[in-house]
Amino acid sequence: MLRLVAIEFKRQLLMLRRYPMETAGQLAVIALIFYGLFLGARYVAGPTARFGERLDALVVGYVLWTLALFAIGDLSWGLMNEAREGTLEQVFLSPYGPLRVYLARSLANLAATLVLNLAVLLLLLGLTGARLAFSPPALLPLAAALLAAYGVGYGLGALALYFKRIQSFLNLFQFVMMFLIMTPFERLAAPGRLAGAVLPLAPAAGMLRDLLARGAPLDPGGLLLALANGLAYLLLGLGLLAAAIRVTKRRGLLGGY
Amino acid sequence: MEPVLRARGLRKAYRQGGRAVTAVDGVDLEVRPGEVLAFLGPNGAGKTTTIKMIAGLVRPDAGEVRIEGQDPHREPAALARVGAVLEGNRNVYWRLTPEENLEYFGTLRGLAPGEARRRGLRLLKRFGLLAKRRALTQELSRGMQQKLAIAVALVHRPRLLLLDEPTLGLDVEAAEHVKTLVRELAGAGQAILLTTHRLEVAQALSDRVAILRRGRIVAADATATLLARFSSGHYVVELEAPPGPELAARLAALGARIEGARVLYAGGPEGLWAVLEALRPRPLLRVERDRADLTEVFLRLVKEGRHA
Repeated sequence: MLRLVAIEFKRQLLMLRRYPMETAGQLAVIALIFYGLFLGARYVAGPTARFGERLDALVVGYVLWTLALFAIGDLSWGLMNEAREGTLEQVFLSPYGPLRVYLARSLANLAATLVLNLAVLLLLLGLTGARLAFSPPALLPLAAALLAAYGVGYGLGALALYFKRIQSFLNLFQFVMMFLIMTPFERLAAPGRLAGAVLPLAPAAGMLRDLLARGAPLDPGGLLLALANGLAYLLLGLGLLAAAIRVTKRRGLLGGY
Repeated sequence: MEPVLRARGLRKAYRQGGRAVTAVDGVDLEVRPGEVLAFLGPNGAGKTTTIKMIAGLVRPDAGEVRIEGQDPHREPAALARVGAVLEGNRNVYWRLTPEENLEYFGTLRGLAPGEARRRGLRLLKRFGLLAKRRALTQELSRGMQQKLAIAVALVHRPRLLLLDEPTLGLDVEAAEHVKTLVRELAGAGQAILLTTHRLEVAQALSDRVAILRRGRIVAADATATLLARFSSGHYVVELEAPPGPELAARLAALGARIEGARVLYAGGPEGLWAVLEALRPRPLLRVERDRADLTEVFLRLVKEGRHA
């Protein structure tokens, strides 16, 4: 598995290097957004999640938003592109099986995105002299949120594998993600609070709000719930993807676009 | 020798407009090491569906596939024994170079990256692509891209190579290169299942032929046997001009038939010499034994099916 992650990471870096202008453009966008956040332009990143007014809260909110968007769309865009270009079936010919290949691809692509974002962030911190009072416990709900986002992403990947063209649906999901991350379910009455525990990403986003905006200490029960939520959606997404692989092979729809 | 591929009773139906359409109906296939099986059929006969069932990409409704005893639909390890170049697909990443593609797909097929790189370089050398190893694949000619796709399919040393229309869209020279490659690979012991619409390619390369029509195999035999079965076996002597009545009568007495300037003789070699003696000293344009080619065989079988 490690070998697969390593080769996928290499492939991702090669793709980034192959089109330097495209990569430079991506880096410039990331740099501008972080710089904007440093300058206090809180809405520069568009409808990012805001977990308070402090810089670290803004940065965490932005990072969560971009990574969650990346996580839900990465697999689907990849599958649609590969089906169109005619490399999808070669990936399915791997003895590792498509699920492991796509898991490895997710890890590698996430690592590459993190490396890019962190490199720009650190560079800007160095250049501007800005300091982040980042609280390491915030990483845990962030990870839980990413697990759930990947779960949703695999579910959408299942649709992409079967239907091949779901671009509009993916765009619509940006708004669903916005609703899930930005709605303060933890402040709502009982039914809303229950929804906040069950809907994907919601408990993790609520925890981040508590930690960063309200300065609450890390609640182990809440963290457990957020992790369980993330894990449950990840497993559900993987299950849907595995089912889509079976159905697509049964109906002979793998190669078509 | 044990077959590398054994497929039995493969069956597949798709739903189209609410009704089931049978694409493949009870196909049996075997390919042995060093053997090229040409799998032929008109468009829509079910060739690609069959190949994809063998590669584990389409699940059969019935029947079984075994690659050296392993089922690619239940044992993913069986896929390490298969390499495939699929029609209508790029098969490789155009944004990567040939050596990057070989390293990536070799690792995806189970090799260590270093081993995939080493084997990749050897294949690039063998396929005459070494000078292009660092060029972007999208910048290579169509023939080079196809050779690269074959190299990628071979990097993990599969026991069975599936080639679906490997010469499609290639110019004459590139198609000849691919033909030579296929011949060399089979010579080195590779089992190859080949589909092609170019019947002269199938005839030149194949040891055996299976012809598919409407999802069913209508003929399967050694290529030479199939050609012999469809050949009349008579001799054809072509003259510059039709023989006169006297000569025609002599030829008829020897058992020959006259069709314009062509003399057809269905007897053995000794009788042929008697016919040639009778024709002396007239100039001859051609003397040959009638032999069907695969195109004739294919068309006859497909037409027979249409009239049936």
